[in-house]
Amino acid sequence: MRDIGLVLLFCLVFAGCPTTSLPPLTQDFRLEEDETRLWLRFEETEKWIQKSGLIYHDEGLEIYLNDIAQKLQPPATLKNISFRIKILKYHLPNAFSFPTGLILIDTGALSRLENEAQLATILGHEMIHTTHRHALKKFRDSKNKSAFLATVTYGTGGLGSIIGALGALTTVMSYSRELETEADTEGFKLMAGAGYDPEEAPKFYLYMRKEYEEEKIKEEHFFGTHPRFQERAENYENLLKTKYKDKQGGVQNSEVFMEKIHRVILDNASLDLKAGRFKIAERGVEKYLTIKPNDPKAYCFLGEIYRQKAEKEDLEKAKEHYQKAISIDPSYPDAHKGIGFIYFKQGEKEQAKKCLKQYLSLSPQAMDKAYIEEYLKQCNGGEKP
Amino acid sequence: MRRYIWIIFILVVGCAPWTQVGGLYKNESYNFSVELPKGWMRWNKGEQLFITRDGVSLQYIQIGRMKIEDPLKHTKKKFSKGMLPQEAAEVYLDNLATNSNILNLEVIENIPATIKGIPGFKAVYSYKNKDGLKLKSIHYGFIVGDWLYSINYHAAQRYYFEKDIKTFEKIVESFNFIKTV
Repeated sequence: MRDIGLVLLFCLVFAGCPTTSLPPLTQDFRLEEDETRLWLRFEETEKWIQKSGLIYHDEGLEIYLNDIAQKLQPPATLKNISFRIKILKYHLPNAFSFPTGLILIDTGALSRLENEAQLATILGHEMIHTTHRHALKKFRDSKNKSAFLATVTYGTGGLGSIIGALGALTTVMSYSRELETEADTEGFKLMAGAGYDPEEAPKFYLYMRKEYEEEKIKEEHFFGTHPRFQERAENYENLLKTKYKDKQGGVQNSEVFMEKIHRVILDNASLDLKAGRFKIAERGVEKYLTIKPNDPKAYCFLGEIYRQKAEKEDLEKAKEHYQKAISIDPSYPDAHKGIGFIYFKQGEKEQAKKCLKQYLSLSPQAMDKAYIEEYLKQCNGGEKP
Repeated sequence: MRRYIWIIFILVVGCAPWTQVGGLYKNESYNFSVELPKGWMRWNKGEQLFITRDGVSLQYIQIGRMKIEDPLKHTKKKFSKGMLPQEAAEVYLDNLATNSNILNLEVIENIPATIKGIPGFKAVYSYKNKDGLKLKSIHYGFIVGDWLYSINYHAAQRYYFEKDIKTFEKIVESFNFIKTV
């Protein structure tokens, strides 16, 4: 009798399972009921993100990114999906899209790109997640799986397992290999169709895979998604060898792109430095210096990286970079502080005093004024400076 | 009857780590003593002591130490021997800034501080957690030998934070080492 009940429950569950086979959004689409709820949820999340302090503000760059997205947008969706690109202050490279058309790209991703064609690859991929309703597919798939679990735990009082399974599914929030591959293939079509160089598509992912291996970084993010660089690179390489083997050349727009993102590169290097990823932060500053070779801030920043790393010859290298910053702009305060700080630690009190005094005269309201005054006091043998 | 035994068991187990405090607290193993306020609850977790009056989500004071070579949770930077207080503060604050659960971090004050004659730092900062609750914290840190000692006050910014600052500062003043360092 219990077996019949189990079979009936199975049938009921699967008959009631919503389909995950959904057509892409077109101009005449109407949201399904659960899709409307999902959109509302994402709209709430969007509001939360706006207030979270995570958004990186650069109006000019946002306009530029949105213009590229418009070039890529499939015409069939123009009326219904309003794509908007926002930048997130986060050092690890990732991008993700909401079903509502919001695309978030991290400073960590932007700062590692070399040109517009690579950016178009990422944006195209994310736009397909939206137009092809991947969030709804994932949502329904997760729901069906939890319904299935409810069936198999029938009679065992396994409520805990259902909650556990659903919790695990919702926290993962990454799409299946199948959906990611669809986003790669269709996104690639958008990118190549807009005239961008297809050869650029796998480059960012290959670079990231190498960086993650070197740094032994676990792929993690605020929203639990992870980009699976290896898989992305392989998909694009396969497309280049097959479907697009005859398509050569195209737009890269490296110079325009670098000019637009130069500030992001330096700001992201600062986030990498906070995370203690010294090598990556240094790479970021060096990339920035190829765009803005005479910026004292960048040299001072290199000094900071070496000072904080403080291995073997690092303090001497730090001094050199601070000196370089001063040679470009003698009134740049932080470089004087950096050198003064090193002299102070090395016990060279007179030189430390000179540099730290210079720092305070250039930056009288510095936030670390109390520390500097303390160092100066110690340089004077405990007497007030 | 069995049901009541279960309820009692759950209550007892659920409350076990928290004990009422007040007066001198000594921790020989971690080499410190402090005067704790009356009416608060205490909980020890590893090398950390937590006390709260209204619940940890509203306010708590944490006193403890960690090995300077131990990795931090969010930054790859480490504390080290001979580090200046400002450098130690930098590592501490960067670990917070890299924590993705901490939003809108704002460092209000970062100044030198001396605790029992040992130079250290005092950092005051506020942030929002993922639920949008605004929290504020005062953190004293100082390096002694292989250890970084911390005394931290953490509370909901609205209403609760102001309420226990004096209690916290009294605890900081009462901090002492049991054996000379």
